Amino acid sequence: MSAAVPMRQPAVLGCDSCGLVSANVLVDGRVDVVQRCSRCGHVLRSAKPFALQRTWACVVAATVLYIPANVLPVMVTTSALQREEHTLLGGIHELWLDGSFGLALIVFIASIAVPVLKIGVLGLLAWSVRRAPNWRRLERARLYRLIETVGHWSMLDVYVVVLLAATVRFGPLANVEAGPGLLAFAAVVVLTLLATWSFDPKMIWQEPLADGRTDPA
Amino acid sequence: MAHRWHPVARGETARCTRCEAVLGRPHRLSIDAVLALTVAAAAAYLMAINTPLLSLNLRGGSESTTLPAAIWDAWHSGTPVVAVVAALTALVAPAAFIALRLYVLFPLSLGKKVAGFAWCVRALHQAGRWNMVEVFTVGVLLSLVRLAGLADASPGPGLFALGAMTALFAAIESAGLKHLWWSIR
Repeated sequence: MSAAVPMRQPAVLGCDSCGLVSANVLVDGRVDVVQRCSRCGHVLRSAKPFALQRTWACVVAATVLYIPANVLPVMVTTSALQREEHTLLGGIHELWLDGSFGLALIVFIASIAVPVLKIGVLGLLAWSVRRAPNWRRLERARLYRLIETVGHWSMLDVYVVVLLAATVRFGPLANVEAGPGLLAFAAVVVLTLLATWSFDPKMIWQEPLADGRTDPA
Repeated sequence: MAHRWHPVARGETARCTRCEAVLGRPHRLSIDAVLALTVAAAAAYLMAINTPLLSLNLRGGSESTTLPAAIWDAWHSGTPVVAVVAALTALVAPAAFIALRLYVLFPLSLGKKVAGFAWCVRALHQAGRWNMVEVFTVGVLLSLVRLAGLADASPGPGLFALGAMTALFAAIESAGLKHLWWSIR
């Protein structure tokens, strides 16, 4: 891992909360002050603190938890005849076999495609900040906005299991319970959300000052 | 990247010249209209949490569930963490989304700024992030379809209230939060 990319302090700072632009007091070489927005009092920073470390921590944790989320059953159904355990992929497979192709597709997108996309994209974005800073910046900025928008939808299966477990309660006749995989999956969803929010899209545009290159901005 | 301010007309969007991200946009509706939508959303919220979302009939037995009951059930059946996540995203965040907006918008429609306005806007940002009513609504629909395959399942009034909330939230939220600062003179 290379040393931290040195950042030139920008002359002005925009407030993340209200949008007001203020002169950056850190330009004078001071490092000991926390500047606040003069309109709304929000802390002004040129970048989110520890953005890369936090993003990586959440992405790695989400990746690890994604394994039990897929291996362990998310839902356990009991009927008069048998007790069945359903995993995420197993549930989608059953929907597909039942002929509900549309439903299977929706659940596949929400439970498999969106989390994998988020983990993959965040890994790529966090990696490219240091290793390929000039590579396809606009596309990377768009990718970030994409996962920011679709991120919520992976919660879908969590809600479905919670609702089914609360509704199907006919004792030994028919019963639905949440499985241990659901906990891991909910954790994956929350961790990928936190990873998305801790990443700072400004890092995509930051110019490294090494090799005598000048900052074109 | 900082940009020089110039007024944005209704229906227009200010975008970053470098990365094309939305910088800000004024709301298509006036503060009064947004306030009216928020009051409607509050009514829909009360209905969504107090009436059954779906009900199920199986061999004479009947079960129906409301949103708080489903979360309560998840809490007591050994998945408290899942219950907390569901409560935060489907119950608490929407409530904060509505309550904080009402608190901010009522005085704003009279041209006044409430005490703690800045704090409220930041809290609204968090509430908007964690609010997943639209996902929950689709979750209820999905559960309904899956249940319909195995028993006599029917939608409850709560589901319609959730649908209304989803639409109202989208309309209220469409301009983000920064424009709230622009209405203060």
